[in-house]
Formats: sequence, structure tokens, C-alpha cells
Amino acid sequence: MKNKSNFSTEHLQYLKKQRNRSILVNVVRIAFLAFLLAVWELAAALEWVNPFITSSPSRIVKTIGDLYTGGTLFYHINTTLTETLVGFFIAVVVGYSVALLLWWSELFRKISEPYLVVLNALPKIALGPLIIIWCGTGSEAIVFMTVLIGLIVAILNMLGGFMATDESKLLLLRSMGASKWQTLTKLVIPSSLPTFISMLKINVGMAWIGSIMGEYIVSKAGIGYLIVYGGQVFKLDLVMSSVLILCVLAAVMYALVALLEKLVVKNVD
Amino acid sequence: MKEVLRFENVCMRYHSKQGETVAVENLNFSVKEGEFTAIIGPSGCGKTTLLSLAAGLLKPTQGKIVTSGVSFGYMLQRDELFPWRTIEKNLYLPLEIKGTNTLEQRNKALELAEKYGLKQFLKSYPSSLSGGMRQRAALIRTLALNPDVLLLDEPFSALDYQTRLNVCNDVYKIIRQEHKTALLITHDISEAISVADTVFVLSKRPAKIVAEHSVVFLEDEPLKRRENKEFSKWFEILWGELNA
Repeated sequence: MKNKSNFSTEHLQYLKKQRNRSILVNVVRIAFLAFLLAVWELAAALEWVNPFITSSPSRIVKTIGDLYTGGTLFYHINTTLTETLVGFFIAVVVGYSVALLLWWSELFRKISEPYLVVLNALPKIALGPLIIIWCGTGSEAIVFMTVLIGLIVAILNMLGGFMATDESKLLLLRSMGASKWQTLTKLVIPSSLPTFISMLKINVGMAWIGSIMGEYIVSKAGIGYLIVYGGQVFKLDLVMSSVLILCVLAAVMYALVALLEKLVVKNVD
Repeated sequence: MKEVLRFENVCMRYHSKQGETVAVENLNFSVKEGEFTAIIGPSGCGKTTLLSLAAGLLKPTQGKIVTSGVSFGYMLQRDELFPWRTIEKNLYLPLEIKGTNTLEQRNKALELAEKYGLKQFLKSYPSSLSGGMRQRAALIRTLALNPDVLLLDEPFSALDYQTRLNVCNDVYKIIRQEHKTALLITHDISEAISVADTVFVLSKRPAKIVAEHSVVFLEDEPLKRRENKEFSKWFEILWGELNA
């Protein structure tokens, strides 16, 4: 690679073009959001639309401010965040372990296949009443729902990753006389790392679906609770504010997984 | 010369729901110590089965495979270096598997790597090496366990033509220098002629030996052999037998 000072003018122009392009993308992104917010605010302020139904950016800010001064903002955020994270980790850990077991035993894998397919297709919300009766009306029920939604996805994704291990590399290890345990630790687990990360990404989404759905069914606190409550008493400012908070939380969690990906997935193909 | 590997009336049948496949039938041949033996056959004739049998990864349906207590090292079509390990860690892989990951063994592997020009790449990941270098690293990995016999399963077929000739030359020299016995399986006639002391020709499936040749050249280097007038004569003979 040449030094910067040695680049041809052509190459410098190319670099400049690339840089301008990425600046353009960012500017337009922000401008688009600002435009949307401005139109929304203006439409509500000039009563083109009924702000009671559509809410508006300023009303959202005020609602969030009120929640904060009322001292309940972080209480609700914490409730949902805890449920989501606990459910997420249980689903990921249990899912990964079950997938390992299924990889290990072909018999087990074949036997469980139809069960997994049916459980995967089943809309988990159908189990709502059962969950309330089994787990009560506390956070446990919501965590249980979150786990249910993420677990099967985690199992199927990881199993797919384990089973996709390169045949030639398996043969190579066999020719070295590797045991099944060695094959697992030296090859199957490291080579499925990208699948693991993509499974985490999918499960971030699943966990939020689980916790919010769980709160819809049964809850006394949380972002999902605020949404349902806001809808029932026609406080759409509260609904919009809650959705906005959710967007931010989900984006942060996804960004953390993406950061993890950058740190660990460097040299797998 | 001592035989290190002998196939005696070996038969191999595969079973699947679709039916039964006879991959190998009544196979008789032997590999002598210190020799470079090549087996050529049409594609799909069960060549890889044959190597798996030799390495003891498969048990023959009938017949016997006699090995005189030698150890085998396997080299595959592609290098199969683990992309998440550095070259150094890749070389240690067989040691880890065999549970002989001692400082002494590691140093031996490093010595080999150094001797054959891999020293500067030890801390690199495979993705930053050329195809030829990667295949050389794969050979050193195979040699790390100090096997008596190298089983080569078309080890150059995934490389482009120019690299293939160079790497073949390279690998040949290393194998000779380390005084290893080698059994090469390939569909490439000229590759077989350029390296082998003995060439066996296999028939279509079920694979049987149809000819055995002692290939003698004055030159002891694949690239030089290719320049020899004899080379094309051998090619014609083997081509005829392969297509018979």
C-alpha cells in the first residue's frame, strides 16, 4: 500500500467522492427525521390533524418529562428492561445448550424434530392464559413469555449453525483422531460463532416482542403496561412516548450486540 | 523394501436408503517404505474411500488392510486451515488433538515451519496468505505429528494451474527431504507422473487396479520431470489405461 502522499490524483478524487457520499447519507438521514418531526409538530400545532389522536413531538417530550419528574420513568424502563434482559439471557443460554445436545445426538435430534417444528410455528401468545395461571401476574409471567418466544428460535438457529460445520474440516479432525468433544470445542463451536452472533441479533428483537407482549397480557408496570394503559384511557401521548422509549432501548441493545460482533468475529471466513 | 501398507482383496460397500454402492472391489496393492506412490483413477471411482480405508477412518466390508504399525497423516484437497486461528495455532492443532501439545513438540513444529519458509507468517491468519503458502502450512500441520506415511487426497486440485505446479514441486521436495512415504490419490495424470515412483491405475467404480508402473526418471523434481521426453510417453500409456 502506498503512502497518502504518493496517491495519484485519481485516487485522491476517489477517496474524496467516497467521503462526500457518506457525509451525504448521514445528512439526509438526519434531515429526513427533522423534516418528519417538523411536519408532525406543525400539523398538530395548526390543527390539520387532531393532536389528541396523533400526539406531537412537543407533547411527547412533555409526557416523558412528566414521567421523569413524577419519578416513574425509570421505574417503568427498569421493569421492562430487566424482564427483557433476563428473558433474553435465559433463552440464549438454554437455547444454545439444547442445540448442543441436539447436535451431539442424532437420535435425539430426529426424535425432537417434529416437536420443534410445531413449537416454532405455534403463536406463543396463545399460551397467555396458561402463563398467567402457571406463573401468576408478576414479572415471572412476562419473563416466561419472553423465554418462550426466544427459545425455539435460538435452538433452531444454533442447531443450523452447528450442523453447517464444514464437512472437510470434520474429516480433517477425524483423520487426526479427534474425539467428539474435541471436534465440538476445536471446530464446531468456533466455526459457528457468526451464527451465534446473528442468533443474538434475532433474539434481541424476540426478547422485546416477548416482554411487551407479556406486559400486554398481564402487568402492573413497564413500557408495555404504559402502552396498554395509555390506549385504554385514550392518552395517546403516553402511547407514543412509550413507543419512542422502546425504539431507543431496542436500538441500544442491538448496537451492543453489533459491537460484540465487531470484537469477536474477526477471522471466521 | 519394506511394505508399510498393503490392501488384500479389499471390498467396500456403502449402504443408503437408495440402495447399495460398491465403491471398491477386490483391491490389491501395496505401498513401500520411502516411496512416493500415486494412484490415478477416473473421477468418482472411490479414490477418497481408498484413502479413508488406508487411514483407518473406514473399515472394509471384506478383505484386509495391513499396516506395519505406521502412523498416517492426511492432507486434503483444500488446506482446511482454521480461519480463526493464526498459522502457528493451526500448526499446533494436531498436537492439541493428540494430547501431545508439549513445548518440545511445539518447537519441532516451529522448526519445520521455519525450515520451510513459514516463519514470517506464524502470527498471521490464513486469510492473509496465498493459496500456495496456505497449502504449505497445511503440509507442515500434517508433518507436525511426524507421521510415517502421508496420505494426499488431490492436495493441489483446488489451486490454479501455475500455483499447482509450484506447490506440487514444493511439497514433493519437503516430503523427500523429510524422508516420508507418500500415497497420492489424484485424477491428474501428469501430476502422478511428475512425482511418483510407482503409479497404480484404477478402473471405474467398483475400483480395481488395472495397471501398475514403476516410473523411473533421472530427474528428481516434478518440474524437471515434466520437461523430460519420457514424460509424454508415460502420459500416453496412462491415458490409454485410464480410458480403457
